[in-house]
Amino acid sequence: MILNGIITGLIMGGILSLPVLGVAVIYGITGIPNFAIGVIGVFGGFLTWYFLSFNMGIAILVGVVFCFAIGYIIQRILLTPISERGGDSTLFFIITVSLGFVFEGLMRAIFPRPSISLALPRIGTINIAGVTVEGFKIFALLFALGTLVIIRLLEEHTEIGKSWQATSQNLKLAKLIGIKTNRVFSIASGIGCALACVGAIFWGSLYNLNLMTGWDLGFLGFIIAVVGGIGNIWGGIISALIMGMVMSFSGYLLGGMWQSVILYFIVILVLIVAPKGILGSERSL
Amino acid sequence: MSEPILEVSGLTACYGMISALKGIGFYVNDNEIVGIVGPNGAGKTTLLESIAGSMHIKEGQINFLGHQIERWPVLKRRQLGLMLVPQEGNIFPLMSVKKNLEVSVILSNRAKKEELIDRVYKLFPVLWEKRRQIANTLSGGQQKMLAVGIGIASNAKIMLIDEPSIGLAPKLVTKLFETLKKIKEDTGKTIVLSEQNIKVLNIADRLFGLEAGEIRFDEKTENLSRDVVKDLYLGSIS
Repeated sequence: MILNGIITGLIMGGILSLPVLGVAVIYGITGIPNFAIGVIGVFGGFLTWYFLSFNMGIAILVGVVFCFAIGYIIQRILLTPISERGGDSTLFFIITVSLGFVFEGLMRAIFPRPSISLALPRIGTINIAGVTVEGFKIFALLFALGTLVIIRLLEEHTEIGKSWQATSQNLKLAKLIGIKTNRVFSIASGIGCALACVGAIFWGSLYNLNLMTGWDLGFLGFIIAVVGGIGNIWGGIISALIMGMVMSFSGYLLGGMWQSVILYFIVILVLIVAPKGILGSERSL
Repeated sequence: MSEPILEVSGLTACYGMISALKGIGFYVNDNEIVGIVGPNGAGKTTLLESIAGSMHIKEGQINFLGHQIERWPVLKRRQLGLMLVPQEGNIFPLMSVKKNLEVSVILSNRAKKEELIDRVYKLFPVLWEKRRQIANTLSGGQQKMLAVGIGIASNAKIMLIDEPSIGLAPKLVTKLFETLKKIKEDTGKTIVLSEQNIKVLNIADRLFGLEAGEIRFDEKTENLSRDVVKDLYLGSIS
């Protein structure tokens, strides 16, 4: 049972780490908390579901590209201009939560069903020390970890990655040396929303997606990111894996209804002991 | 006689109701070092930030290389060849020295990038020794060198440097100023620096004094006595 709990927790944490990464990338680079990220991601999940019977690859691409474009556009025409006029966290909370409701309403209006499950092909099963695990779940976990590695490599070895870092660390100087900071913000926001969409696709494939899943994924993503140290990618991933374990074991030992009680109790406890999160907030990748 | 590459006229900038610059006019010739001296609150930083575009001006004209740039955003001014090295927040604190320089050459082509970074390492060998060190773990003096190094790496036609000597030991100030002079002589760059340190007299071709947002004098350095300048930066020129 312990091994089963660990594996389930790791997989849950791995999938959760995708929206957490999205939050970390957006907040780390732009400094703006976007609470609509989960709902936008789930909107992309619904789009993927809508086109799934047509072609799986294209359906996934449509969802992910759509979310990237939405993230890019809302940053460009809404969030960056407000930030330049001195918008504070409260204003961004209200605006991004409102945006979330807009997308929730659009989902309700556009898609024929309020709750869906994405039928992606399964990859068979794998036996790990006597515990049978679906191959698809392992793939989801590896995908999440692979995404993290790719983001780190991009950041270390490409010009755009260095521009991200520079912009997040010193916006004024980044502008002065000639970085197109508004484009950096928009790309970061697009990537963040695209990651949330991939997380939603995995979630919808393993569990299900409904109109509220976006809020759950988005807020959980935020809380996990804060526990890890908001903006700190490594902290976010460690936090996601720990929270996945907590959810898994509290579910096994105490039953599903106790999951959120234990989870949020631990969140509060961690933040009392370490207000800047496990690895500290650095507002940087 | 070289031509002015930067001309400012009637420049006015305000913080709310308070005027920080009151109709300033001056020019900077190609390949010269111009010092702006004046006491705290004279408007030196506001002037440099206004030219670089990170401060909104109320009125006035800024002509750089034949273009009226006073309404241009920072990026466009940078692309034309203006670079400000601010007094504070002038490095990327969590990046290594090497990465700080690599990101600063973003507007240059691939071949030029390496040449520019090498130039910085030659001018400041300590930055080469510490190239893998995270910038905010450098000493104050080394951070200042990195800040100027970022300015050099940017390969701008004109570099505006805001009070580079602040917080530096006297020996380091002398060394930094000598390096700025060398940059001017070796690369043909133009440098405008605001200063409160009297040693600026040793490197500047021209000096102009700023007090309470107005220019009080504009003279070739050879015509200025140290006492007059000292009086100025002690805030009692009138």
